[in-house]
Amino acid sequence: MWYLLRKLGLLLLTAWAAITLNFLLPRLMPGTPADAAIAKLAQNGPVDPATRAAIEAQLGVPTGDAWSQYVQYLGNVLHLDFGVSYTFFPQSVSSLIMNALPWTLVMVGLVTIVAFILGTLLGVLAAWKRGTWLDTPPTLGGTFTSAFPYFWTALLLVFFLGYELKWFPTSGAYGRESTPTMSLAFISDAIGHAWLPAITILITSLGGWILGMRNNMINTLGDDYVTFAEANGLHSRTVAVKYAARNAILPNLTGFGLALGGVVGGSLLVEQVFNYPGVGYLLFNAVTNQDFPLMQALFLMITISVLLANFLVDILYGLLDPRTRR
Amino acid sequence: MTLPAKLTEPTGSPSASVPGAGATAPAGPASPLRVLARVASTIWSNKKARIGVVLLSIFILMAIFAPLIAPYGASENGFGRNQGPSSAHWFGTTAAGEDVFSQVVFGARISVLVGFIAGFLSTLIAVVVGLSWGYIRGPLADVINFIVNLVLVIPGLPLMIVIAAYLQNGGMTMIIFVVVLTGWAYGARVLRSQTQSIRGRDFITAAQFSGDGAARIVFREILPNMTSLITGSFFGAATSAILAESGLSFLGIGDTTTVSWGSMLFWASNSNALLTGQWVLLFAPGLCIALLATSLTLINFGVDGLSNPRLREGSGR
Amino acid sequence: MSLLEVRDLSVVYEPRGAEPTYAVKNASFSLERGEFVGLVGESGSGKSTLGFAVTRLAKAPARISNGTILFDGRDIASMKEEELRTQRQGGFAMVLQSGMNALNPVRSIRKHFGDIFAAHGHVPKAKRVARAYELVEKVELPRTVLDRFPGELSGGMRQRVSIALALALEPQLMVFDEPTTALDVLVQHAVMGTIRDLQKSENFTALLISHDLGIVLESTSRVMVMSEGVIVEDGTSQQILQAPRHEYTQMLLSHYADPRAEVVEVPGLVVRGSTIETTGQSTVADAAPTALAGAAAPARRRAGRPEATAIVVDDVTKVYPAPRRGQPKVTAVDHVSFTLAQGQSMALVGASGSGKSTLAKLITGVERPTTGAIHFGDARVDTLRRKGLRELRREVQMVFQDPYSALNPLHTVEYALMRPVLNYTGLRGVAARTRVLELLDTVGLNPVEQFAAKLPHQLSGGQRQRVVIARALACDPQVIIADEPVSMLDVSLRAGVLALLDDLRVTFGVSMLYITHDLLSARLVTDQIMVLNQGRVVESGETAQVLRFPEDPYTMELLEAIPQPQRAGTGR
Repeated sequence: MWYLLRKLGLLLLTAWAAITLNFLLPRLMPGTPADAAIAKLAQNGPVDPATRAAIEAQLGVPTGDAWSQYVQYLGNVLHLDFGVSYTFFPQSVSSLIMNALPWTLVMVGLVTIVAFILGTLLGVLAAWKRGTWLDTPPTLGGTFTSAFPYFWTALLLVFFLGYELKWFPTSGAYGRESTPTMSLAFISDAIGHAWLPAITILITSLGGWILGMRNNMINTLGDDYVTFAEANGLHSRTVAVKYAARNAILPNLTGFGLALGGVVGGSLLVEQVFNYPGVGYLLFNAVTNQDFPLMQALFLMITISVLLANFLVDILYGLLDPRTRR
Repeated sequence: MTLPAKLTEPTGSPSASVPGAGATAPAGPASPLRVLARVASTIWSNKKARIGVVLLSIFILMAIFAPLIAPYGASENGFGRNQGPSSAHWFGTTAAGEDVFSQVVFGARISVLVGFIAGFLSTLIAVVVGLSWGYIRGPLADVINFIVNLVLVIPGLPLMIVIAAYLQNGGMTMIIFVVVLTGWAYGARVLRSQTQSIRGRDFITAAQFSGDGAARIVFREILPNMTSLITGSFFGAATSAILAESGLSFLGIGDTTTVSWGSMLFWASNSNALLTGQWVLLFAPGLCIALLATSLTLINFGVDGLSNPRLREGSGR
Repeated sequence: MSLLEVRDLSVVYEPRGAEPTYAVKNASFSLERGEFVGLVGESGSGKSTLGFAVTRLAKAPARISNGTILFDGRDIASMKEEELRTQRQGGFAMVLQSGMNALNPVRSIRKHFGDIFAAHGHVPKAKRVARAYELVEKVELPRTVLDRFPGELSGGMRQRVSIALALALEPQLMVFDEPTTALDVLVQHAVMGTIRDLQKSENFTALLISHDLGIVLESTSRVMVMSEGVIVEDGTSQQILQAPRHEYTQMLLSHYADPRAEVVEVPGLVVRGSTIETTGQSTVADAAPTALAGAAAPARRRAGRPEATAIVVDDVTKVYPAPRRGQPKVTAVDHVSFTLAQGQSMALVGASGSGKSTLAKLITGVERPTTGAIHFGDARVDTLRRKGLRELRREVQMVFQDPYSALNPLHTVEYALMRPVLNYTGLRGVAARTRVLELLDTVGLNPVEQFAAKLPHQLSGGQRQRVVIARALACDPQVIIADEPVSMLDVSLRAGVLALLDDLRVTFGVSMLYITHDLLSARLVTDQIMVLNQGRVVESGETAQVLRFPEDPYTMELLEAIPQPQRAGTGR
């Protein structure tokens, strides 16, 4: 319980720090993005004073003292009020993000979990059968594929499986003629479109999980409780799973939490290649169009999502390790 | 990444090491050169790491001698556009009429350079932060802990993208800056935990009793004992720097006129190389990135074995 | 037919990239049913490797290179994994040295038992719980221990659990590999008692592997002595004790003595009543100091330095915050007062957790007392800042417990000794180097030039400890705090280091605070003693007096826990 409270406190503190960082970033940068932003917005029509003030508050034009700006900003964030997008004027940043977020959460989230579980299993096998065909190919293969740039894997798959073999659709999250409803037809269309980006993320992230788990497992296999379990004549599968792997998974979970940020970053690149309408694609659009409110809010949402995922991992860790319950 | 740096075994435990095997190490004073030589020879004794060293050397040579190897200049663009592979242009030409093979060769310069510079700077920060963080105690250590964890969990690439967007066309310097800014934290954490473990050893207390100051203890007593971890951090940081640079260049962030493997793919995908069927143009730069990054990871297999005997080859079950 | 018959067994270590070494060379022996046999040797003698080999637990890079192991008539040396696994039930079990780490940290004790029963199916499902209760009770643990996780148990309890788990196999042979080495003295004594009782009541054959001839002689009826991979002696405990044939056995035996005796003698050191003498005779491998007679007189060296000063500990208490939430604070030192006078040698003894190491930290200014004061001359140690601490350490130096950890593996002996010389004495260049060589000579590491250039891994444990002592002497301190300076050394090296410490103390007029759990060594090198229990001083006085005629029950308990070879075969 104490463990949980501590992790919750840490989550809130980290989230606050991320929000504050997001507030400070534009203010630490040279020049005032607000001017550029307002100029850009003015192309769409006259900018009323309220909008101007909102933009300036967000982007750090020195109106009023920094403290009151900060307070106002915190209030906006709490209400999920990130202002208006320039690129997709007059849509609000929040609504844009809400449309994009589910695509990324479902596709990237599911694939990451699948990749982690699969990689962990392969890592366990590799360490248990060290030096055999269950070890060398996954280890070397994993080393190689985890060095692939995400976008390159994506480009190759688009080229070979999309254009050449035409097995999968290569762009978007659903066909042009579909409309997002909860119908079976739409869902199967969406799944069809999710294959290529999903395979990309799987190929590129799997190796890291294999290598990490293999290393941990090799370490626990040398521990005394494994030797003692063998001395007691336990079934070798019990020793491998309930003794060695069960302990090796703990540092692997911590590693999972840390590596999550990297996987999410990589998935953004993948979305860009596939024009997949998630947050990565939106972020890239925001950057090329210098849509600062959208960009900042997206960065914040991505960060908070990773923080929440880390928190879930911490809870899982707490459940798996009796030592945290004391 | 748990690294129990068991330097000695007080009583012979048969599963861990041969009694007295430590006494077979080479004699002589512990100059930094000698330590590095030991690191190098251990790495070389690992088969995977040896492949890595060979691969890396090839890329470094390619980067250094690019003008001699490449048949044309990197941005020389008087050739036919979107050509397939031919004897004049082994990998074909780009949509702007440049020679792909020459670009691949010159691209090695950017990746190797960014990898080494960003890797070096990240490691430098990681060493300074990690060692002092591990050595000090009290509230300041908690503050550093929080900052490092924050940098670790914040997704690096989006942060780089946002910073790069604010900095506007800063070119390669800007890319190195953002890569370093987000890349030092992992190494700092690893080095910190090792510092803490070494700090608990008696020879640190002994140095305090010998009248040595904190700085001397950190740099003369602790630092030399972490050569392998620092080497590992360097290759790790260089790997992520190379991948991050390619990602940013691919997004067109930074200077797109610089010829790097990432920017080649940026232009290739923007000029629809997919539709013209120029798979070599897509394949070659990415493969180079992957091979360069792999070579560094392979070397780290050998480095891991330095600090953790259990991970050495042939010590299997 | 013998239960275990080992013929020409050799075990080779084949680490990658290094020469193979034979840890066990053509060992042959047999164990009869119901016998309790000891296997003794110093670190590196191959005794543990042999233990792992006969239970078929040797892992790469170790490999059984030749020989047969007949267990109950069947050769297990070449048996296949699965057949071997089933043989373990009702066959041979092993209790590891590090019982602390022999349990899976994420599995409850109940599940540990469940795994064994499930693996062999030798106990019907309905009776498994009852059997587990029975087993933990056999090792004198409460039934509730079954629902605990290993991390919630003390070291002694964990070792008892591993013994119970090994018993769950209903083995005919139990191999105990240093079963109590990692435990505290009193716990050690209790666990050994349990093992002896179990061996009698369960009547299994037992092989006790230990570096401590005392413990082994006390428990076993027969002893094998191993040295450099060879079994050099094999006889009944009585024979070994009274008429050891091999010189190695004789040497080991000579280092045991009863601290309660009037005259206590080990090679190189004799104490009668309360006076100490050094016999000056050389001890085994490490050469005894030779240059002591010629060493400079302390008076000359102390010129211009503060006069003789005592350490006064005045009503000191140290309270640590609770290790976990909801637990009480820990009072490590509880209202302790004493004075360490100039030139005095005082022992601070107690089991682990008695607060003796905390006291050392307080006296050296590493930590500060919660209440009370510590005086060194005019200085208040407990309020010193950085500069004051530096001055204090010029006068108060430490000798550490673990010689493997006290020297930086990357620095030469010369570097280690040069640091205090440069920092404290003001000597530079040739003069500083001369001083370093002089120090090496003082601690008997000759030829000095060669030793100066060596790295720690090229030295034996005893030699390392001599370097550590030389370093402590480098700035010519008034006080040396020696924290268990010989407990990590092989028995044969202990007396040499102790004799050196004692000689130096007398020659240089240094006072010494000797921290230990080992009452024999305390008797050998100190004239005053303080017995600590849970942070309190329970008894103090002249060492010989206190140890020969103890008054406090805790002191008696500590004395009782010392293994006594003399008890061999008495079947206590």
